[in-house]
Amino acid sequence: MSQNNGTLNLRVARIESVTPEIKRFTLVSPSGEHLPAFSGGSHVVVLVANPDKTLRNPYSLLSSPYDTSSYQIAVRRVDSGRGGSVALHDNVNEGDLIEVTPPVNLFPLIKQARLHLFIAGGVGITPVISQLEELRLSNVPFELHYAVRGEEHAQLGKELQATYGEQVHLYRKGVESRMEIGRILADRPLGSHVYVCGPDSMIDATLACARDLGWTESHVHYERFLEQSSGGEAFSFTLGRSGTTIEVSPDQTMLEAVEAAGFSMPYLCRGGACGHCETAVLELDGELLHTDDWLSDEDKASGKKIMPCVSRAQCNRLVIDL
Amino acid sequence: MLITGIKSRPVYDRLQPLPGGRRHIIAGQGSGGRAMLRLLDEMTGLDGPITLLYSKESFSGQDFLTDLQRYPDHELRPYASNQALIDDLNDLLSAAHMGTRLYLAGSESFLGSAMQVATRFDLNRDEVLREHSGTLVRRVWCVHCDTYTENVTQRVYDCPGCSLTLVVRDHYSRRLAAFQAVKADAEVPGELPPAEELDT
Repeated sequence: MSQNNGTLNLRVARIESVTPEIKRFTLVSPSGEHLPAFSGGSHVVVLVANPDKTLRNPYSLLSSPYDTSSYQIAVRRVDSGRGGSVALHDNVNEGDLIEVTPPVNLFPLIKQARLHLFIAGGVGITPVISQLEELRLSNVPFELHYAVRGEEHAQLGKELQATYGEQVHLYRKGVESRMEIGRILADRPLGSHVYVCGPDSMIDATLACARDLGWTESHVHYERFLEQSSGGEAFSFTLGRSGTTIEVSPDQTMLEAVEAAGFSMPYLCRGGACGHCETAVLELDGELLHTDDWLSDEDKASGKKIMPCVSRAQCNRLVIDL
Repeated sequence: MLITGIKSRPVYDRLQPLPGGRRHIIAGQGSGGRAMLRLLDEMTGLDGPITLLYSKESFSGQDFLTDLQRYPDHELRPYASNQALIDDLNDLLSAAHMGTRLYLAGSESFLGSAMQVATRFDLNRDEVLREHSGTLVRRVWCVHCDTYTENVTQRVYDCPGCSLTLVVRDHYSRRLAAFQAVKADAEVPGELPPAEELDT
């Protein structure tokens, strides 16, 4: 398995359609070696080479942490996005090589938990699948509550039901009744942990219900998947150390624009969650448009820090410490 | 570093109402009753039932049971010993739900033993507060015979379990809720570290 710049070149062994919008890719080492180990909830970043630029899309691993002979990712096609998922759907075939970063985990299981509650919607099920795989060697009870838009989107949920039985509660729109997050979280024993991954509305509802029921933050875990269409207005900013001006196009993030200009900066999640790319703002004439989950409200209001992987600016001048 | 200067002793809190709690359990012992009373006054008007657990076991003989009885709105469970309180705390937490907040006040030995129970139920730092009261006499664990000795005030002491002369290290174990003590002259037989008063 060749590595360049720390990424892995993997062969696409299998591509399956699991819903009208989601394809599951199985990735293996071309030389048959085992892949780097990972834990449940991990993701990789897939480098999608487009003619004009390389897109970096994070995808959760859904294979078992106990079997590193392959990785699996699920890619939901977003036609209104920047083109990464569409390229993976349309241009990648079985046998092709693709480049991915080694796995990183920003959504791990809590080892001290006495009960795991998973709440997922749509393609948000992906990190939960490897978390459940990890729990196979654990005696700690769990429940999965999984909502999908209808029967044709339910295949991953039905696979999980076949594996884990009654611990999996499936909410198909038009088939079962609506998921009631407040009831899922009510009257749970001490040491319960909830993990939620899905649309923003589902995450926000879970956070609100948990708070109402007196759950503390240390028991609530969430991972947002970015709507890849989330771009914005074009703007430009300056790298303070070299004085280089970087233009950010409407479908680019600041981080991507920095990379496209030939610079590198630290990152892990590319989703505003991990804090790795936090950068100091040296000068600002305008407004920062924060969309991350990392900076505190005070930090956001101070205008002194920005998360270039997701946040943008509406400004005449912005200089960051890079 | 072998004996002193180890920063593992917990840094304790000041009891104050924890936001968002749906049910509050306040457990204390001896002079910890004073912190319980102060907390109760600060919790006036707060939502959610309050359960009080109080043990009269005390190194200094202080007893706040009568003062705690002046809060008839809250269930008060008195105990003759810290161990009886901790056993009951275990039962209480095993039936409790998410949204519970736990407040502990008392000696370091009591706090450590109660935290062993709280940790068993995965109560985290945002769900538990601990206020230390009284002296910092130590609960010490002998690495040689597994005997726990309460209220140790000297750096060098004789283990009541195995009669070895031990030196108390500043190494605190939250798992054991005790400081570690090892044979005092293990390096050079007969050569004892200076006898000193611990920072109680």
